[in-house]
Amino acid sequence: MSHPAKSSASSFSVDGLYCAHHGWIYRWLVGKVGNVSDAAELAHDVFVRLLSQPRDFNDEGHAQAYLSTLSRNLCVDFWRRKQVERAWFEVLASRPAHYAPSEEHHALVFEALVQLQAMLDRLPGKVAEAFCLAQLDGLTYREIALRIGVSERTVTKYIAQAMFQCVLLEAELDGALL
Amino acid sequence: MSTRPGGLDHATLQRAADWFARLNAEPNALHLREAWSQWHAHSELNRLAWSYVVRVSQRFTPLQEDLTASSKTLEALRHSQRSRRQVLRNCSILMGAAVLGWGSWRQRWLPDAMTAWATDFHTGTRPLGEQRLADGTRIWLNSGTSLDVDFNASQRRLRLYSGEVLINTGNDPRPFQVETAEGRLRPIGTRFGLREQHGRTLLNVYEGSVQAICGQSEQTRTVPAGYSLAFDQQNLFATQRAQPEREAWTQGLLLANDTRLEDFIDELSSYRHGHLGIDPQVANLRLMGTFPLHDTDQVLAMLEQVLPVRIERRFPWWVTVVPR
Repeated sequence: MSHPAKSSASSFSVDGLYCAHHGWIYRWLVGKVGNVSDAAELAHDVFVRLLSQPRDFNDEGHAQAYLSTLSRNLCVDFWRRKQVERAWFEVLASRPAHYAPSEEHHALVFEALVQLQAMLDRLPGKVAEAFCLAQLDGLTYREIALRIGVSERTVTKYIAQAMFQCVLLEAELDGALL
Repeated sequence: MSTRPGGLDHATLQRAADWFARLNAEPNALHLREAWSQWHAHSELNRLAWSYVVRVSQRFTPLQEDLTASSKTLEALRHSQRSRRQVLRNCSILMGAAVLGWGSWRQRWLPDAMTAWATDFHTGTRPLGEQRLADGTRIWLNSGTSLDVDFNASQRRLRLYSGEVLINTGNDPRPFQVETAEGRLRPIGTRFGLREQHGRTLLNVYEGSVQAICGQSEQTRTVPAGYSLAFDQQNLFATQRAQPEREAWTQGLLLANDTRLEDFIDELSSYRHGHLGIDPQVANLRLMGTFPLHDTDQVLAMLEQVLPVRIERRFPWWVTVVPR
């Protein structure tokens, strides 16, 4: 979805947008995440994103719609991160006590998990499962087929579907799509 | 003319994804790889689409650091039906739109992309048996190996990124060259092995001879059959006797010839998933013998018989060799 810049000089500077919108974004986020410090940080992030990916707005309504989408997305990311964190700590807690990976190692894997989960959330359950079993657990399609109760052909289809969704997302983020 | 960004269409991406799924279904099917190569070579757009497939694959790479915990976490998340709806309720928005976090992560990880799936051949914990290339050259790939094949009308070129390959060159008038991070190799009618490890290339020549050239210093030496040579970008080290164990894996064997147990375990671990560790107290024990690669659990059991060690299995995926 591209927005052809109709007005060459945008009248919507990040400064101006910040003054006009930061207040309601922050209040909305407090309501969603339930505490002021996370909300303040997320509200800040909204404008950091805007700075890193500048865009032109047609009018005030357009700017507001865009900012509210951005805020909601950051909010989804926030909650997803919390969920992954909970699941991850539960798994770690079930390990032998003397197994303690380094902080750095830990952070690396956790970050990757959060981002991957963001992508897997887009996929239907079985498709996501097949994709993980293939990519992460290294199972063959035959093994996956047995595990999730579908044919090998369907597994191939699932993997193609999962990969398609993912490359689409990558290409979108790059602005490389037609 | 190269494709400007913004030229990709859904159909091309879909085709790239289909290729990925089919190649994964039959990782050893040479005819598929060849068909894929043609598709890949066909247009700039196809290569662009494929580069996104490579990127997506790379996203799983950091998880290999802690495979079991990652796998369990994702599984738990999949099975908590509640979670998805809960997030939606919290933010009243479709998941599909929430992709911001991914963008930031990509910037962090992309620089070391372009390894695994970008290459023509790639192995995980299983070696890949004899593969015949277009000129009749035969190659064997050890575990953890990435290799590109680039043949054209005037030359034959291989590029070894990681791991180990044994090459039996075919009879063909075009010059043959193998490149590694450390330098180049020019074989003369020959069978030889290359291993890329710890910033060095290790060459073992079993037939004919091979000329090795350091990438930076351009130092050159020809190594005859029965000898081996290690080199980095600057230096050629002393020529030594060829190591038969560096050829044995192509027969599905792991050879130990007065090998330190730690080195042996290190090598064995590349043939299996999960953690395989060793207690420092037994690291310097020496080992002799021939071991089957296809069953690493059996190899561990054999170790218990020939050495004063015990195999401690805390979990199926967490195995340590300890003193008895």
